[in-house]
Amino acid sequence: MPKSKSSSFCLIWALLALTCCAVPTARAEVVLPGGERVRKVDFERHIMGVFGRMGCNSGSCHGSFQGKGGFRLSLFGYDPAKDYLSLTREAEGRRINFADPDNSLLLLKATGRVPHEGQARFGRESWAYQLLRTWIVEGAKRTPGSGAVAQIAIDPPEYAFDKHGETGQLRVQATFADGTTETITSLCDFRTNDDAVVEVTQLGQVRGVRPGDTAVVVSYRGNVVPVRVLVPYTAKKGARYPQVPEVNFIDREVFAKLRRLNIEPSVLSGDAEFLRRVTLDAIGTLPTPKEVRDFLADTREDKRTRKIDELLSHPMHAALWATKFCDITGNNTDTLENPAQRKARLSQMWHDWFRKRLAENVPYDEIVRGVLCATSRGELRPEEYVEQVKKTEAVERGFNSAYANRPTLDLFWRKQQRVPIEQWGEKTAAAFLGVRLECAQCHKHPFDRWTQTDYRAYANVFAQVSFAISPESQKLFRTANEERKQNPKDKDKKKLPLAPLREVFVVAKGTASQPLPDPDTNKALSARALGGPEIPFESGKDPRQTLFEWMHEGENPFFARSFVNRVWGHYFGTGIVNPVDDFSLANPPSNAKLLDALAEAFVAGRFNIRDLERKILLSRTYQLTAAPNETNRLDHTNYSHANIRPLMAEVMVDALNAALGASETFGPEMPVNSRAIEVGASRAQNASVNYAFRIFGRPPRTTACDCERAAEPGLPQKLYLMADPTILQKLQAPQGRIRKLLAAEKDDDKVLDELVLAALSRLPTAKERAAFAKHRAKCKDRQTAFFDTMWALINTNEFVFNH
Amino acid sequence: MSRLAISDCEGFHRRDFLKLGAGGLFGLTLPQLLRLQASASAAQQQKRRANAVILLWLGGGPSHQDIWDLKPEAPEGIRSQFKPISTKADGVRISEHMPKTAQVADKMSIVRSLYHTIPSHGPASVFMTTGNKPTPALEYPSLGSLMAKLMKSEKGVPPYVSFGDIRGGRAGVSGYLGTAYNPFIVEGSAGGKGKGGNSLRVRGIQLPNGFTLEELENRDKLFQGFDDTFRSLDRSADLVDGLDAFHKQALEILRSDKTKKAFDLEQEKAAVRERYGSTPFGQGALAARRLVEAGVRFATVSLGGWDTHNKNFDALSKRLLPSLDQTLSALIDDLSQRGLLDTTIVYCAGEFGRTPKINKNVGRDHWARSMAVALAGGGLRRGYAHGTTDAHGMAPATDPCTPDDVAATIFHCLGIDPHTELTTSTGRPIQLFREGRIVEKMLA
Repeated sequence: MPKSKSSSFCLIWALLALTCCAVPTARAEVVLPGGERVRKVDFERHIMGVFGRMGCNSGSCHGSFQGKGGFRLSLFGYDPAKDYLSLTREAEGRRINFADPDNSLLLLKATGRVPHEGQARFGRESWAYQLLRTWIVEGAKRTPGSGAVAQIAIDPPEYAFDKHGETGQLRVQATFADGTTETITSLCDFRTNDDAVVEVTQLGQVRGVRPGDTAVVVSYRGNVVPVRVLVPYTAKKGARYPQVPEVNFIDREVFAKLRRLNIEPSVLSGDAEFLRRVTLDAIGTLPTPKEVRDFLADTREDKRTRKIDELLSHPMHAALWATKFCDITGNNTDTLENPAQRKARLSQMWHDWFRKRLAENVPYDEIVRGVLCATSRGELRPEEYVEQVKKTEAVERGFNSAYANRPTLDLFWRKQQRVPIEQWGEKTAAAFLGVRLECAQCHKHPFDRWTQTDYRAYANVFAQVSFAISPESQKLFRTANEERKQNPKDKDKKKLPLAPLREVFVVAKGTASQPLPDPDTNKALSARALGGPEIPFESGKDPRQTLFEWMHEGENPFFARSFVNRVWGHYFGTGIVNPVDDFSLANPPSNAKLLDALAEAFVAGRFNIRDLERKILLSRTYQLTAAPNETNRLDHTNYSHANIRPLMAEVMVDALNAALGASETFGPEMPVNSRAIEVGASRAQNASVNYAFRIFGRPPRTTACDCERAAEPGLPQKLYLMADPTILQKLQAPQGRIRKLLAAEKDDDKVLDELVLAALSRLPTAKERAAFAKHRAKCKDRQTAFFDTMWALINTNEFVFNH
Repeated sequence: MSRLAISDCEGFHRRDFLKLGAGGLFGLTLPQLLRLQASASAAQQQKRRANAVILLWLGGGPSHQDIWDLKPEAPEGIRSQFKPISTKADGVRISEHMPKTAQVADKMSIVRSLYHTIPSHGPASVFMTTGNKPTPALEYPSLGSLMAKLMKSEKGVPPYVSFGDIRGGRAGVSGYLGTAYNPFIVEGSAGGKGKGGNSLRVRGIQLPNGFTLEELENRDKLFQGFDDTFRSLDRSADLVDGLDAFHKQALEILRSDKTKKAFDLEQEKAAVRERYGSTPFGQGALAARRLVEAGVRFATVSLGGWDTHNKNFDALSKRLLPSLDQTLSALIDDLSQRGLLDTTIVYCAGEFGRTPKINKNVGRDHWARSMAVALAGGGLRRGYAHGTTDAHGMAPATDPCTPDDVAATIFHCLGIDPHTELTTSTGRPIQLFREGRIVEKMLA
């Protein structure tokens, strides 16, 4: 708060205070630091506003479930009635002192005049003090519902600076349920999502720090509104923004945003750069030296389009995306159904199921339906089902288990331990809507719209889903076993009774799990789609089916957007909403028009995944070089040049093997020469591979969250590349790339070409040739020189990152 | 580093977390970490604090009423076949098969009133090693991972090492802290005879055999000539800067011989090596002590086989207890003689206790409703047995406490507030041990 201003406010207040004393009946007016005049202090609007603004009701203070110092407020003020009671009734009413307002415990504590663990929050001259005091003087009343917010509007709704260094002011106006409006800027909390670009003060003053853009998130008592703030790049005098060719609507939206920021996109990538990037992105491995040479030599105009089409129909493309779907849907081997020795196989079947659909380019909504609405038996009779399981789940090798032919992925629901329904709510919301709900389990989501009621109503959608022996199956097997007992055939005598299997099914009557009650009234709460319509209980109808219909039909704001954002995040390293599974009010998209356009095209194209990928890969935006230009050096969120990004752990393992000419054994159920992206199990049955997976951040898939996949480089990764025994051994293996090459090729220059092509997908530079020659001269033998060279290559940043 | 700054439930910014989250390992310079350390060292000036933990992990679930909490008055079928013996701690009696430990009991804190509710190996191991009841929604970090994150570590030495995995890597891992805080796994063993009997090494921080430091330096020189092209691409990418910094650190660690020296058990007198026991467990404990001296914060050494559903008494008296007795007593005594017991906490625990009732195979089955653990050193009360169980050892009778409480108490001794809040990668604020209360009676 600017010092001079506050003191002038103090002065005003002092005058006002004097007036009040002189004419006690007159209404006191409190002037807030933003200049707002409060004529009637309202509990819900202003007092609760102060609590939020000063942090009194945050989780580490009185908002904690245990309260603090015997005083509990509802977290972020979600419950005004309760807060009013604890203020006015608890502590023998000492918190409010009508006879001597200044000696109200509330004010004594807040100003630190009596010991307060939270220290002094504000002084006696402050506006916050005056608000609280005036409220007490006026009888400490509450008008229930007065603070219910209908709308929060921010002026301006988007802030564009002319250049960095400038400042500006955001003003916030609330429209309350009773139709009145009030400017409440001073009672809001302001936060910037990137303080390197935009700074914001507690009074809503924004400053452009450097070119770029970010969101400033404004919250008023749990109501969250983001404002995008743009700081354009200041071009050199006389510089003209160039004409940039556009391939499709993606370029149109990306370049339009860049134009507003006066940031120029980089130039198109070279062929070698493009080939390496698109191969790693689309099929999860490096192009071979021959592929690089062929591509560079190809003179056809449309060679990039051809390459994109070739890669998108490559079998490894389906394997890579099956791995990503396994992350999204939580294919965690440890939690699958017993027996333990079969779990890895089940995980592989899970992967197979996705892989088959991705290879066939089954529409996204169909894939989701197969997961979300899965049952074990479908139309089969219980005994047919037992037979089917015997056939499809027999332990075998390979990726073509018959399980993939099943219409639904019942494994998603087949967990050894019972999963509480709220977990299903969280998992499906994160997987298919890109929404993180977990905060709302215990309280209203502080930075999103979700309430505890939304959370519970959504969880209740899953109350009818069971994974157990179904009554139908139980009955049938009991009868069969009794018959066998009474009329034993010889061959049955030695056998155990026939055993029914647990299956995923929807109970016909009642619920399989206790539905969660309404958090306020503790009464029954109907199931609801998340922020959507009620899903009424209908006997014989799978509520998940209704949920699915709500998700994929009409104007669902999350279903298509969350998936196109995931695909975008995969190909650019940064989601338009980032992290990709964190759609929330406080985390708005960096380019909403782009996200909308992608989602629209995806829906219009009937959820055709490959078509979506093709549009992305064909865009000029995807094909820009990673080298920045003068104007876009600092940009990492607007796709002005290719982002440098780490490889997925599986891709790293595969890329190392590809570069070194080595292969890997992933476990007994995997054929030899498999790739890491073909592994379904969250835990490979090879300690060395697990070690590499772990340090390169392969997610254990214990929670339904993309955040488990570590995206940050770590020290152990560097140590692994430098000194892990498996790497060193593969480097020097007789069947490895180097020794085979040395035996076949006598010309050192050609060997060097081949190694650089294999690791970096390009030919060596003159400088690198010189560095090699210098090193070669010092080495006692040729082999050592090339071992050293390959070691150096796989340790370069150029190898470790996609770019 | 991510450029996003999403606020969490507590109103902290994600950015704050990431700054903290990205460092930690091997003491990256991070303002938060330093501040934390500064306050910790201020506390240290007042009182010498514990700064390391050695966990002796008894996988399978040791039988509390045959080791730490004997019930000689209980009826046959419940009562241990073993007799209790007096120890150097007044009034504290333990199993007759722990005679050496009895001689150091005056330095120990035995917790007899510990209990929880999970009689299943996997989740119980997670509970005991994390101090948080497992939930499917969130994977809690193990105590070692937390120490790796929250305490300053020695240059060139890994903060958290584990001699082998616990339950195949399902416990003892970093949980929501992320992969950088996983333990460094010690491979090989040192149980064998002579020089060849020691093959201990930590994967990832030591040069493997046949790869010399000279070769490494040579290769690194060549590398410098190769890494140039990319560097000019994007100077501002945090990722690249991060990895460059890690490259330097990695070299430092590979050059350092602190860890290697710690594994050179030949440096110890033969008598010391023998006292620890010539088993992998004993030599592992000795190596753990040497690692702690080198600056390791948390070391786990495991002794398995405690899941005694059959022939409980045979297994204990012939195999398990002699081994545990020798190693545990040697470790406590050795730490004490070296003046390290004040700063090192020895924590000897398994995942649960065993049924008071002896089964038809003369075994005992899983029992979580009462169990016992033993601790020593680092500001814990000495010569003390905490709490009691009922007449048959079925459940705590006085001073009941939980794995959360023990974890909170250990962290208190380390100078870390057990209610310190960390943030998960989804921005959720989590206290270290939300349910944990410091057991005041256990403090010296």
